[in-house]
Amino acid sequence: MTAQAATATVKPTTPGPGPSLAEARRGYGGDLWRAVVRNRKALAGLVILVFFLVLAVFPGQIAPHDPMAEVFLPGLGPSSHHWFGTTAYGQDVLSQLIWGTRQSVIIAFAVGGLATVLAVLVGVSAAYLGGVADGVLSLATDVILVIPIFPLIIVIAAYEKNSGLFTLVVVLGALGWSYGARQLRSQTLSLRTRDFLEAARVRGERKLYVIVFEILPTMTSLIVATFLGAALYAVLFAAGLQFIGLGDPNSQSWGTMLYWAENNEALGANMVLWAIMPGICVAGLGAAFALLNYAFDEISNPALRMRRLDRPIPDSRNEGGAVDVPVDPERILEVRGLTVAYASDEGPVVAVDRVDFDLARGEFLGIVGESGCGKSTLLYAITRLLGPPFAGEIVAGQIVFQGRDMVALTERQLRHVRWREFSVVMQSAMNALNPVLTIAAQMRDACKAHSAMSAREIEERSKEVLRLVSIDPIHLHSYPHQLSGGMRQRAMIAMALLFTPDLIIMDEPTSALDVVAQRSLMAQIKELQERLGFAVVFVTHDMSLVSHFSDRVLVMYAAQVAEFGQTRRLFDKPLHPYTSALLEAFPSIHGPKTRLQGIPGSPPDLARPPAGCRFSPRCPQAMARCRAAEPQLVAVDDDQVRCVLYENGVSPDNGREALASPAKGTA
Amino acid sequence: MRFVLRRLGFFVVTLWAAITLNFLIPRLMPGNAALAMMSRYKGRVNPEALHALEIAFGINTHQSLAGAYFTYLGNIARGHFGISLTFFPDAVSHQVLQALPWTLGLVGLTTVLAFLLGTLIGLVSAWRRGGVLDGVLPPIFVITSAFPYFWLALLSIWLFSIKLGWFPESGGYDVTSTVAWSWTFVGDVVRHSILPALTILITSIGGWILTMRNNTISVLAEDYVRMARAKGLKPWRIMWTYAGRNAILPNLTGFAMSLGFVVSGAILVEFVFNYPGVGWMFLQSVENQDYALMQALFLLLTVTVLVAILVADGATAVLDPRTRDRS
Repeated sequence: MTAQAATATVKPTTPGPGPSLAEARRGYGGDLWRAVVRNRKALAGLVILVFFLVLAVFPGQIAPHDPMAEVFLPGLGPSSHHWFGTTAYGQDVLSQLIWGTRQSVIIAFAVGGLATVLAVLVGVSAAYLGGVADGVLSLATDVILVIPIFPLIIVIAAYEKNSGLFTLVVVLGALGWSYGARQLRSQTLSLRTRDFLEAARVRGERKLYVIVFEILPTMTSLIVATFLGAALYAVLFAAGLQFIGLGDPNSQSWGTMLYWAENNEALGANMVLWAIMPGICVAGLGAAFALLNYAFDEISNPALRMRRLDRPIPDSRNEGGAVDVPVDPERILEVRGLTVAYASDEGPVVAVDRVDFDLARGEFLGIVGESGCGKSTLLYAITRLLGPPFAGEIVAGQIVFQGRDMVALTERQLRHVRWREFSVVMQSAMNALNPVLTIAAQMRDACKAHSAMSAREIEERSKEVLRLVSIDPIHLHSYPHQLSGGMRQRAMIAMALLFTPDLIIMDEPTSALDVVAQRSLMAQIKELQERLGFAVVFVTHDMSLVSHFSDRVLVMYAAQVAEFGQTRRLFDKPLHPYTSALLEAFPSIHGPKTRLQGIPGSPPDLARPPAGCRFSPRCPQAMARCRAAEPQLVAVDDDQVRCVLYENGVSPDNGREALASPAKGTA
Repeated sequence: MRFVLRRLGFFVVTLWAAITLNFLIPRLMPGNAALAMMSRYKGRVNPEALHALEIAFGINTHQSLAGAYFTYLGNIARGHFGISLTFFPDAVSHQVLQALPWTLGLVGLTTVLAFLLGTLIGLVSAWRRGGVLDGVLPPIFVITSAFPYFWLALLSIWLFSIKLGWFPESGGYDVTSTVAWSWTFVGDVVRHSILPALTILITSIGGWILTMRNNTISVLAEDYVRMARAKGLKPWRIMWTYAGRNAILPNLTGFAMSLGFVVSGAILVEFVFNYPGVGWMFLQSVENQDYALMQALFLLLTVTVLVAILVADGATAVLDPRTRDRS
């Protein structure tokens, strides 16, 4: 029965975080409409655009008068009969505006469409073909981009006087594609190596098919942006050309209206609205495209959107971070009930859920778990570094570090604690070191922020810490990109040692390195730790690193602590089924060779955690009561575990009840 | 070094493309624009000028297109742009050089100012994400970026010159004053430049604000900014040397790329204000069908943009050590 239940629960109940082929294909396209309606700027742009579209389609029905008929008194002011007055020729300005809409709209859409098609053709094929073709097409794109287009159009128009609508559209379209092509090219380049394209290539699909059915749909919003940008520029340039008299002076358009208004000195002669209203229309139609364009930028780049939790940080924070509970001086760090939530479109997502742990002075603690279980969020919460892109907030709990509550400290108070008392080593030094400053400059600003060291002392200290991590001090004045991956990582660790802090927080500091470099760097970290006596909180998903270097291990699953205990005990006799599963998924260095087993399924979506025990849908030992209620963290000897097997003194050997019925996935 | 050479190469290729376009457009337009133009001029202009034009456009010279092209390239290389019809018999190059300082002073200074100011505002508004500045400015500047330059120019003349009388309506200086390096004259020039400068500033600054804001927001999500916070640096230090220094790099490229756009707007602003710069002269030459002058001015505009791009590239090389080392 148990085995049957286990196979039944293998199926993941929620989709994993990685986008599937189908999702990638749908891309932004599927949700685009909903996103547009939700975005206020997009909605405003859309409303304006629809307004002008209606005017453009039904001018005859809407306009009160014949726009060209010179039948009224010239130069009339605004009245109920002529809302915007009359022209110097006795025409109704409002009617001219309404009839003029059509040409601008046609130009916007025709040029937008033509330029977009050209941009897609050039940009995507340049990126997809690569090599010489790419070189030639990119060069052509850049050349057209920087040649001042408007003067060029004027030159053309000067030879081809009074050019009609068609010529205008062709010329504007033929010159206006380059910016979009450039962006589409780089976007395609970044897509080229994606899994679903590789898959299409392996399937032997033809290039054209791949471009049309695989690449283009994922770039919907960029293509839309290209269209909107080209449409905006077409409206402005066409109006400019007509204004200086290079269009057909008999055409009905806003630019031509401005041309006649200027020629009759409408502004000086009290026919102000004749000159102002066409400009407002051009600006209005342009603004519609600009607003939509800006909104699409926000939609396709989620970083530009800001989300805030509705719930503020609880007010229970106390000034200066004083802690009421007596603190054990041997404990450098004590985390109590720490909860971190992110805002999302579906409401708050709890990424760290009531986590408790403590750290002794000089202790080495490993935090392990699969990707997306909240490890990194936990680290950034402890260091008060939450912020974009991890825009989470601490919503509950205390972080008692060296006797003060970090959660309650202000940014200014935090600054004094940072780097002197604890420092941080990040996953990839390539990203964590400022690319435009030398290593020396980056050490110097840390020193200057926290001490009154002289330039000479700073230089000496910087060289000293480089030597500690076995880097020749001649590299001090190098830029990060001039160092090898291993050296960069060491340089970052050296930086973390500048003030010999009491605690160093490390977020997978070796995972960017190859196995050999990883080993030697870890050995060095361990040696430094023993020599200098700092404590380490070390996040990784490499169980073998943890087994060698850490004193205790914290296993996280779906934002919660699954198990917390002594490394040796945890590896020899794991309590939580998830810990066992993790251990079985990694090769053991010593001991008999066993078949490695992955953990079936994937971690749950934190926005919709499964009911009861969060691991139960994947757990080989799941029972009915696992789904009934969330298990509490219980103490087993000196360690802690969150599993019903250990609740109420139930021992793992006799507590296994058969499931009443085969498990149904929690939908 | 490779970086600089590559950019110089790009400069040359683009210049060559612009020159070639200049050569081809009058010859390849439907109905042979050059011939049509000549027939329009017959009897209206000085025969010498007509002959100069015939040479410039390769008419009656019995040269092949390719031959004419190389003659043309040679002339350009020696700075022979032909003779202006409007200012006959003055050489085009001489006329152009008179207009250039006005444009450099007005458009050049204003553009650089708009870039610096816009970049600064964009940086601060991204840094104070969700603040007042960030809430108000982006939507406003999205809309102003859609304003036609020339229309804003018209509007400002109407409001500040005609209605309020604060600033002169048009021109680069008061025609009654003597042109000299005197305080009165310089003051007069400044007074005449304020309205056109403000017009260019208002319409072009929005683009810089928005791109810098978006770049900064992306950069603020980078690990090195988080690292700077972890190091306990002062906020302004993080904003300048970590966020700003990195976010401005793509903006410099953007600056180069959108200069053509700014120049286009500036032409119209000069036109509306009758400002005696390159743009105004350019449109005058179009109106007078002074093709030699027009084509020389088009090349000048292209070269100006290209030089500005080189300057932006130079700034990128100074600010980004990675471009210096890239081999």
